[in-house]
Amino acid sequence: MSSQPNRLAKGGMIDRSKLVRFTFDGEPLTGFQGDTLASALLANGMSLVGRSFKYHRPRGILTAGSEEPNALVELRSGARREPNTRATTIELYDGLAAASQNCWPSLRLDLLAANQIFSPIFGAGFYYKTFMWPAAFWEKLYEPAIRRAAGLGRAAEAPDPDHYEKTNAFCDVLVIGGGPAGLSAALAATRSGARVILCEEDFRLGGRLLAERYEIDGRPATDWVEAAEAELESLANCRILRRTTVQGVYDGGTYAAIERVNDHVAKPPAHEPRQRLWRIVAKRAVLAAGAIERPIVFGNNDRPGVMLAGAVRAYVNRYGVTPGRRAVIFADNDDAFRTAEDLAQAGVTVAALIDARKSASPRAQAAAETAQARYLSGATIQQVRGGHGVRGIVVGDASGNTERFACDLVAVSGGWNPTVNLTTHLNGKPQWSDALSALVPGTLPPRMSVAGAASGSFGLGAFLAEGHDAGLAAAAECGFTAKVRGTPAVADDAGATPSPLWQVANSRGKAFVDFQNDVTVSDVKLAAREGFRIPEHLKRYTTLGMATDQGKTSNANGAAVLANVTGRYVGAVGTTTFRPPYTPIAISAFAGHHRGQDFRPARLAPSHAWAEEQGAVFVETGPWLRALYYPKRGEEPQDAVNREVANVRKAVGVCDVSTLGKIDVQGRDAGTFLDRVYANTFSALPVGKARYGLMLREDGFVLDDGTTARLAEDHYFMTTTTANAVKVMQHLEFAQQCLWPELDVELVSVTEQWAQYAVAGPRARDVLQAVVDPAYDLSNAAFPYLACGDVTVCGGTPGRLYRLSFSGELAYEVAVPARYGDSLVRAIMQAGAAYGIAPYGTEALGVLRIEKGHPAGGELNGQTTAHDLGFGKMLSAKKDFIGRFMAGRPALTDPERPSLVGLRPLDRGERIRAGAHLIPKDAEAVAGNDLGYVTSIAFSPSLNHWLGLGLLVRGPERHGEILRAYDPVRGGDVLVEVRPPCFIDPEGERLRV
Amino acid sequence: MSDRHLRPLSALAGVASPGRFGKTSGEPGVTIQERSGLGLATVAARRGQAAALKQAVANGYGVELPDSSRVAHGSTVSFIGYGPGQWLAVSETLGNHTLARDLAERLKGLASISDQSGGRTVLRISGPRAGDVLAKGLPIDLDPRGFPLGSAATSTISLMGVQLWQTGDPQSYDIAIFRSVSQSFWRWLTASAAEYGYEVTPS
Repeated sequence: MSSQPNRLAKGGMIDRSKLVRFTFDGEPLTGFQGDTLASALLANGMSLVGRSFKYHRPRGILTAGSEEPNALVELRSGARREPNTRATTIELYDGLAAASQNCWPSLRLDLLAANQIFSPIFGAGFYYKTFMWPAAFWEKLYEPAIRRAAGLGRAAEAPDPDHYEKTNAFCDVLVIGGGPAGLSAALAATRSGARVILCEEDFRLGGRLLAERYEIDGRPATDWVEAAEAELESLANCRILRRTTVQGVYDGGTYAAIERVNDHVAKPPAHEPRQRLWRIVAKRAVLAAGAIERPIVFGNNDRPGVMLAGAVRAYVNRYGVTPGRRAVIFADNDDAFRTAEDLAQAGVTVAALIDARKSASPRAQAAAETAQARYLSGATIQQVRGGHGVRGIVVGDASGNTERFACDLVAVSGGWNPTVNLTTHLNGKPQWSDALSALVPGTLPPRMSVAGAASGSFGLGAFLAEGHDAGLAAAAECGFTAKVRGTPAVADDAGATPSPLWQVANSRGKAFVDFQNDVTVSDVKLAAREGFRIPEHLKRYTTLGMATDQGKTSNANGAAVLANVTGRYVGAVGTTTFRPPYTPIAISAFAGHHRGQDFRPARLAPSHAWAEEQGAVFVETGPWLRALYYPKRGEEPQDAVNREVANVRKAVGVCDVSTLGKIDVQGRDAGTFLDRVYANTFSALPVGKARYGLMLREDGFVLDDGTTARLAEDHYFMTTTTANAVKVMQHLEFAQQCLWPELDVELVSVTEQWAQYAVAGPRARDVLQAVVDPAYDLSNAAFPYLACGDVTVCGGTPGRLYRLSFSGELAYEVAVPARYGDSLVRAIMQAGAAYGIAPYGTEALGVLRIEKGHPAGGELNGQTTAHDLGFGKMLSAKKDFIGRFMAGRPALTDPERPSLVGLRPLDRGERIRAGAHLIPKDAEAVAGNDLGYVTSIAFSPSLNHWLGLGLLVRGPERHGEILRAYDPVRGGDVLVEVRPPCFIDPEGERLRV
Repeated sequence: MSDRHLRPLSALAGVASPGRFGKTSGEPGVTIQERSGLGLATVAARRGQAAALKQAVANGYGVELPDSSRVAHGSTVSFIGYGPGQWLAVSETLGNHTLARDLAERLKGLASISDQSGGRTVLRISGPRAGDVLAKGLPIDLDPRGFPLGSAATSTISLMGVQLWQTGDPQSYDIAIFRSVSQSFWRWLTASAAEYGYEVTPS
């Protein structure tokens, strides 16, 4: 086991009493609680952690935060394996297993590094140029080869075993970022009495205060952080969300955040989610997202050991780790040269401070003195030496002299970029600041303010003061104006970089602008030569700024290099658009609870459990699960359906029709209302009667059909098809509320209230007589076809009975409150046993209606008119109704329109296919000969052959004609005879007995 | 036929059984109880009868119909406003369909009544973490500042329509869901409550 050779003897916010064991590429290593994977790898002297995306160059750790472009690893294994996870954000836990990616056969010996030799052909846009043709090669050859060579990590192949969830939160003030400005804002707003949510991406509050040796009120700044945290924790009106990244800003003060609830353990504790997606609605927000340091572009600036100066300080001060033994610092700002002091304090040798600025800086000189290091101003690193790690640098000065330094760590800083990302999510445009040489927030999202480094101000005093003021103002805008304390005193240490060095001219070796996408200065030059001169185009052509880090460390340098090669002012080049999410989000977090059987809610009929007991096979009908058929043991599906149909025709069957939409239409004007929404008349329907109704859309096409019963003078009960229930309700509510608000009509959905069963077949009355209480006379004379009314069943349970038939047989529908549905269907089955009752499902229901020629889903397809379906006579000429006028349009009354017919195969042994096109018997199968198509088909056990319904040009005139039903998709080509749609009992005698 | 009286069946039968579930240490964060046998009915004011309806409800049930998304608890019937001129009436004493009958008699000509006693599952969700559990699905603010006692809401949870009202205890909510989605709702509810530990009490 390794002894953590680069762990400093003391210091850092790690718990040295808690040793944590982990593995990297199978090698057992140790770290301490409080480490990230990155800090623990560095403690173990492992600076090489991955290979780059395109050239497979060795890469190390560049940053100490979520902006990391290089140190991407595969975390965990098996079903929990996560590719492309940033080592800098992974909290170390006992048993953690991580692996490097993009290398084969091993990290140190990666054969695909040969790509570097061919780098001239892997330049910008090489995909577009190299693999253009032959086109057929793309899918089979090029793309798989590129994906194998260039792919980042491997996704898990098994379903994610953890659960994820979403949650909602509301507050007055959302504070984004828990650094000095954010803590200060949260304290001010919370003390004012506002409801505050503070989101911090890190597992620890403090931001840069954890990485620096600042003092507040004469004490270490971390003391102030702890006091602030304790105070916020103690106040009920503040909620602190750690490990939570605010990912996006949306309309109405809505923010999305991901909380990594249990990413820091091997496996979430029982019952706890892995991650939580927060939807936060805030009246005001204070963005205190800080800033991200920029690298400088120079030769071999991607070698492991080249690290941002701020990250070096974070590893030294926060984690008690030195990323190297002999350091140089290369920067253009005083802030970065403080790194020398921190390294010296930790006992690390600092060889030199390379200051890109022409005139020497007293502050940097002082740091060099403290560190007993050389100080070179007006100098730059021309090249980094070393392969798998930094071995030294070549420094050049203004007069062309070069000097070599041996070192294994290069701390780099080109200044800081305010983290403006969230300010742009609602189309805000960041602005270029000449004072900072960086983009600062421009127009902000409504009700958001920015404080601290994110706003472009630098210096601890400014951070605390700005945060305080922003928190106070945000709370005041929400109506909280309590007087609160001011901010503590600090010595300011300015960090701005007024004239940055973006790239070292004439440096040697590949100079990387975007580490993650392997975009070099030459790629940017090439893109510019080829006309891609604005950042959005540059991004698409070179991939600069894409992938997991979205250019957090590369966009600014990319724009600057582009400005340089196109001879423009950097502030005029512009930027790409930042969009949510701020950091990558697991798809599972978006899914939350909605996966597997919970993808969407399922609606279960009241007798679902009974149907399961009967062995029903279910089908999704919209959100409903309906019994498709009830196979007996060993029975084939088709045989089950045939049996169920035959049973209805010969004896009696029961079918659950509870899923039909049901709407109570009540009020003095209910009849008038129905006359206006239905094509036929309902106001004249007597109480105690039901009628088939046809509803049109405003545009004249058929919307839906169903039966509506009149239960009282001012009470109708409407049914809709299962599929259109919601649509019809919306249509009626629109008519009620917007078209005729003067009518007294009240609508309420009672779909869920009633369990309803169709009992159909010659013995239906016998069964119902045993179920409905004897006080009710069910004789044909007393309760004829289309009668309806209140009844009681099984000894007093209130219910309703309707004499309706979809099957064409003697049939009833009986309804009870849904809680009695299960019990009622069992009672019906028991009562029907003597008559040979069997349940039938939606498949048999379909066969029965096709035999009867009733249009349903295949025909009520939103493109058919009443005339098309043979319902032309139902369009009342005596009243106005929705759709009447538009149904009279020439195109909708054209006699050439396809209309409903029945079809049967000429050779009765043949099968007709739904979707087959109808063409003249001897005509060629071309679109010009198309006369219509088959809308529904069924095998009719009653007739012992296949039959179909179809929509056919001049259909009713063609009864008796022989046509070809041509189905090129499934190879069907059969001759069919055109018939009237109704094949069984066309006079309708059976249902009236 | 009187030997075959129909028996009511909860939509959660076989799914929601009493006991302690989820995290087992400490007090349960949430208690869940199905309120079965309730009378439930929708009340929709007839056109032009709003004032007369209010008076009739005040006379008949001793409670003032709320004008917004609020609940008014009477001694026998609670009324929850869910739309202009629309209320859900809930009663323990007038159970099942008897509530709709009672309303239809007392409010004849003033309101349209529809029995909904079979169409809803009503769950009482209470306990110190009730708000945290509901927040995982309910996109509305339950903080007392935004949802004071007596508040009610019509909203969605996990893609399912819900009606929610306060029972009178700040940590206790009644939620009415459509009967058909009860099991899907239960799966969401128990998954969301598990981390706090939950107790299912007999209805």
